[in-house]
Amino acid sequence: MRIKLTSLMVDDQDKAMKFYTDVLGFRKKHEIPMGAYKWQTVVSPEGPGDIELSLEPNANPAARTFQRAMFDQKIPLAAFEVSNIEKEYDRLAALGVVFTTKPMQAGPVTIAVLSDTCGNLIQLYQPAM
Amino acid sequence: MLLSCDTFRNLCRARALLAGSSEPCLSVKHIANEVAISPYHFIRQFEAVFGITPHQFRIQTRLDQAKLLLAKGDLSVTEICMEVGFSSLGTFSDLFTRRFGAPPSLYKRSARAMVQVPGNYPQELFPGCLSLMGSLPATAFRNFQEASFLSLR
Repeated sequence: MRIKLTSLMVDDQDKAMKFYTDVLGFRKKHEIPMGAYKWQTVVSPEGPGDIELSLEPNANPAARTFQRAMFDQKIPLAAFEVSNIEKEYDRLAALGVVFTTKPMQAGPVTIAVLSDTCGNLIQLYQPAM
Repeated sequence: MLLSCDTFRNLCRARALLAGSSEPCLSVKHIANEVAISPYHFIRQFEAVFGITPHQFRIQTRLDQAKLLLAKGDLSVTEICMEVGFSSLGTFSDLFTRRFGAPPSLYKRSARAMVQVPGNYPQELFPGCLSLMGSLPATAFRNFQEASFLSLR
């Protein structure tokens, strides 16, 4: 059994694809129309080529309620590893990204938390070498 | 932009206010005052955090509510238009079609055709993406490097 796919709910699939590629720097792997929605996934240009992140719609009212509650409680719903968190923070802030937490030491990692503009807080983390 | 805890909390409260009311008199300016942010900064900060302006968010919320009411099927399109806070059926219909790809009347017919268990929405209304996996082409399961290589040939 392998972990090759994970998913994150977003409030707008087009907006999410733009943010996750143009801003965060992931690459689109699939964008396949499926009726009212799309099967859309991104991969990292740095990481293993076959681990995909699916950006799925939060159309289900229960999903929306959950997502908003997590956001309001400042709970990130995904975390991405970075090699240099200060550099990423500066790069993303210059692109207009909103952070709720700037890089700070938290035990064995340095973390920062940003809004993905699609209903989620995302944590970036850099493990100590 | 780094948000303070207070500003974050206020923007979340503003979002809840925008989502919770179809009262046309609860203007964006009114909500900005409620959360003690100047209207100019409120609109910019809201858009930076949530990816759309407060006005656009309110419209989207009303359209989402309309979609659910249409699926329930108890009210007419006109009644739903008024219920969610639109004053013009034409505007409502245009906005709905633009957001969901079908006019309200057509969406209502297709949603009502789905099997319904009282008290629940039919699963087809909100299929989880993973459950749609079976409808994907085989190429969707190719390794990214393999797919890139093949597309270059």
